[in-house]
Amino acid sequence: MSGFDSSPDDLQALAGEYVLGTLSADARRAVEARLPEDAALRAAVADWEARLLPLTDLVSPVEPSESLWERITHSVAGLERRAAHAPAARPRTVAATGWWNNLALWRGLSAAGCAAAVVMASVLVLREPVAKPPQYLVVLVGPQDKSPGWVVQASARGQAVDLIPLVDSAVPAEKSLQFWTKADGWKGPVSLGLVRPGQTVHVPLSSLPPLQANQLFELTLEPAQGSPIDRPTGPVQFIGRAVKVL
Amino acid sequence: MPVSDDTFDHHATLSACAQGDRHALQRLYQHESRRLLGVALRIVRDRALAEDVLHDAFMKIWQRAASFDGSRGEARGWIYSVVRYGALNHIRDTAREVTLEEETAAAVDDAVALAAYEQAPDPFERRADLGRLDGCLQNLPAARRDCILFAYLDGCSHGEIAERLKTPLGTVKAWITRGMAALRECMA
Repeated sequence: MSGFDSSPDDLQALAGEYVLGTLSADARRAVEARLPEDAALRAAVADWEARLLPLTDLVSPVEPSESLWERITHSVAGLERRAAHAPAARPRTVAATGWWNNLALWRGLSAAGCAAAVVMASVLVLREPVAKPPQYLVVLVGPQDKSPGWVVQASARGQAVDLIPLVDSAVPAEKSLQFWTKADGWKGPVSLGLVRPGQTVHVPLSSLPPLQANQLFELTLEPAQGSPIDRPTGPVQFIGRAVKVL
Repeated sequence: MPVSDDTFDHHATLSACAQGDRHALQRLYQHESRRLLGVALRIVRDRALAEDVLHDAFMKIWQRAASFDGSRGEARGWIYSVVRYGALNHIRDTAREVTLEEETAAAVDDAVALAAYEQAPDPFERRADLGRLDGCLQNLPAARRDCILFAYLDGCSHGEIAERLKTPLGTVKAWITRGMAALRECMA
């Protein structure tokens, strides 16, 4: 391509038709191959992307099928597993090592009908005998039958939690599960976002104080878009308090 | 639904994805998946395929969020580009056969889109969304503007546009080149 698009106008024309989409497959690939090395071309492409982006507002939105997000999370989890085997791949905020992150273990415990106390006992038995910063564990149980539904596991420094499903809880159509937390002394619960039943969620707590013992976590049933106000409006589905792991 | 919701922080959401925050990816999906699927569907014209494109795009967004350079462009534009390029690469690679029916249906879609674009129920809001692009598109001769819309929205190749407009291929290429140059100048 050298020479052909050496002038600024030619570069703009190439970038423009790349963004517009009128280049052939070969020409598209040639542009993509050049991008990492060619700052001027990158800038021209970014400018064209910004110029033409408003046109996307002319397209009617289409509702994705319900299974699409599940497929995406499944694939993302697969990527993360592969990344865990290739440590240099990307920085990770969660140390995905050892039994602690072993979902099969947790699911297995649940399937065996273990109550929260038994889960805690297993933790004590299986815990690696290495000095670690305090870890917190929360078993979220149904308010009526006390059966464990989710486990909340805090990262080493308490800056993030993983919410891990033990059962595939059903949520009625047009409803959602919203995740909340409240420590002693807080004015009210703080939303940690919406949660899909049966799917692990990683939640950073960067804007919150460090996790503390006895901190309350709960999942409530809310409208599809989440609670319209800054506190829960629907019934509690699962609830539990943080326990410091010895 | 608001056409463009300025309260959603795409840049912060990408940064959170780069930090491994899957919840951020979910928020992005909840916020943009309908519009993104609409964009992909217009280009690939097949529902299942469009969902595959969206699936692959979210993988890419997750993997490449760390490489997004905020100084180089706008986060929302980057996200839409990942979806559009995924869709475009797919149809260019498979060199789709366009049947007359599809052609007619898509032309009707475009006529509707153009009509909606020109006579939006709330013109003030619509123009605010398209910003300067609106005025600059209006300045183009209609045929050149149509070429650009067919290409950007429907993923039409030069040949497909030539067929739609019953215009020689060389003329279509020249219209697009001049139309794009005029747009760039107008929006500078």
